[in-house]
Amino acid sequence: MVRAVSAAETAATTYAWAIHAEALRVRAGRRMAVDGLDLSMDTGVHGLLGPNGAGKTTLVRSIATVLRPAGGTLTILGEKVNGRIDLRALRRQIGYLPQEFGYYRRFTVREFIEYIAWLKEMPAAETPAAVQRAIERVGLTDRADDRMKTLSGGMVRRAGIAQAIVNDPRILLLDEPTAGLDPDQRLQFRALLRDLGTDTCVVVSTHLVEDVAAACTDVVLIDAGRLVHQGVPADLAAAAGQDSGAGDSAAERGYSAILRRHRETQS
Amino acid sequence: MNLSNHVTTAALERYATGGAGIGADALWAVEVHLDSCAPCRERLGDAVARHSPETVSLLALVQANLASEVARSPRMHSRRLPRRISRWAPPGLWPRLAMTLLVLAAALGLDLAASSQAFPSLVLLVAPVAPLLGVAAVWSVGLDPAHELVVASPRAGLNMVLRRTLAVLIVVIPALTVAGWLAGESPARWLLPCLAFTAGALAFGELIGLRWAAAALALLWTAGVITPSVLAARTPVLLEPASLPYWAGLIAVIAVALVLRRDAYTGLRSSTWFVR
Amino acid sequence: MTSTDEAHLVRLIARGDRHAFDELYRRTSPWLAVRLRRRCADDELVADVMQETYLAVWRAAAAFAGAAVGGTAVGWVWTIAARRLVDALRRRARDGRLPLAALAAPDAPAADDEVLNVVLGDAMGSALRRLSPDLRQVLQAMVLDGLTVRETAVLLGVPEGTVKTRARRARIALREALS
Repeated sequence: MVRAVSAAETAATTYAWAIHAEALRVRAGRRMAVDGLDLSMDTGVHGLLGPNGAGKTTLVRSIATVLRPAGGTLTILGEKVNGRIDLRALRRQIGYLPQEFGYYRRFTVREFIEYIAWLKEMPAAETPAAVQRAIERVGLTDRADDRMKTLSGGMVRRAGIAQAIVNDPRILLLDEPTAGLDPDQRLQFRALLRDLGTDTCVVVSTHLVEDVAAACTDVVLIDAGRLVHQGVPADLAAAAGQDSGAGDSAAERGYSAILRRHRETQS
Repeated sequence: MNLSNHVTTAALERYATGGAGIGADALWAVEVHLDSCAPCRERLGDAVARHSPETVSLLALVQANLASEVARSPRMHSRRLPRRISRWAPPGLWPRLAMTLLVLAAALGLDLAASSQAFPSLVLLVAPVAPLLGVAAVWSVGLDPAHELVVASPRAGLNMVLRRTLAVLIVVIPALTVAGWLAGESPARWLLPCLAFTAGALAFGELIGLRWAAAALALLWTAGVITPSVLAARTPVLLEPASLPYWAGLIAVIAVALVLRRDAYTGLRSSTWFVR
Repeated sequence: MTSTDEAHLVRLIARGDRHAFDELYRRTSPWLAVRLRRRCADDELVADVMQETYLAVWRAAAAFAGAAVGGTAVGWVWTIAARRLVDALRRRARDGRLPLAALAAPDAPAADDEVLNVVLGDAMGSALRRLSPDLRQVLQAMVLDGLTVRETAVLLGVPEGTVKTRARRARIALREALS
């Protein structure tokens, strides 16, 4: 309906990358989990791959503005996270699904997502429509009014994705979103990812190389807190080459090959 | 119907047929008007029926599809208990509040059963740290399942922590008042210390996390004041009326510290061993 | 027949009243169909969007009927429909099918629309008429339809930066025309 459009909304974008990290260092516990990472990501679906302990979750948490960087710079939508910034305005444009997705078991799916919408300071008038839309986009329409404790693991994960997209964020951070999804649900999820990737910067941290190869426009491989490789998914398969390394598919072999080569150059 | 400030029928017809015979300004005006004028929407329906067979068939198609979908579509039941209370007291808080009430009831029971009048009132001794059981759950990874999401949200911050703390106090302080009255203690003796400990936990929580801060303060009070008082059967100096001005001063200092470092509750923190 | 009646209908729908739902459909679907058809040339897509919209109203009526929400029933219906339209177009863009250009804004002025000037005023009316179609489309999407910059970009099939530039130029042009 007729609404006022602010000047800020139509001001030209002053930043080049939605997410830009330079020599980023972030501590997790006592360890420096992200240690000198240089990374730039913009619109599209970025698959974040790497072995356990590579710093993926720490990186995602620092982009979600939950962790403060210990060194280097992290610039999100043009705002440097270290400095004095309007954290609330920035967070309104971010959607985040943590690896350990905690929820309130006695809430229904709809109630929980409405609560998250309130946490994200969405206007009350828009909330019901946005919640319904998020529920439909993840395919939970039939279970929208069931309590979360009655949902299977895959459905809980989908509810987690729904709460992340309810505010139509510019940056979407999904940490292990396909855990517990059956193959059919994973296909639907990839379709959703492709939709979202047309105008959002989506970062998907995952162990499943196949998910990345299928749905992502860009693959980011990190190890020991540093960037190992960034490129299109086809690079992975290409990197496999003649290597008969670990992996059932070309993408997995490529992943192992790239990782191994990187570690060889490091030692 | 008086058409003087509504859309003319002719304009509605041109709008309905989707053709180019309507000026840009008229188009804008028609749409703005229709947003808020139900009679004109009704008249638009008539115009559509008369002049736009394509739209009519579109509407019929949609209605037919809808009929079958609606019949088998699950519907949201009318609201159960409004969940808005969760904006003040998240689910993790309720068990803690129940625990607090039990502790108070136990303290009261012991007081009423105590034979000697000179024995310090347990309710009085426990009062300053009574809210801390609940306050620990206000901003804690272990006790709020959705804590990571809360902490990453735009609304995270001191305001939200205070809101939730208020929910704790609204339950605990009246309970303390009742228990205290039954045990023969006036609120004037414990209210300021109670608020001081609550504020102190929040301020201290900015450094080491609210759960640890609440636990540490509760432990300190129990070991340093409650136990000696019980063993010596003597009301502690800190709860004498003469100490009240010092408590008030302490609250003021803590409040300032709390506000100065409130960014700690926006969640953007450096990770350390005791703060995940 | 007032907007409070429509809010009342939504409350009835929240309780499962099919007749109220049919009545809401009867009252609002012609308006919605005409408005959507002026933004999307594909009738099949419009039909899908309308179906999804009214289904959403059926399913979540209790949420919309909540007192705290505010706004009018047609307001929500339009919000739902506009966003569904954008989602459908995004799906097409993702599938590689070209997004459908919105119907070109018409130019020919008509004679007896003075009665509408009470809504807009002479100066605003003629300013709008003089705006180039590109700029007017962006203005319509953002101001009238309530879409964000990103959604407008999907609807019109142009990059976000272009939407912003056109919005700024539209604002300048209107300001000049009105001063």
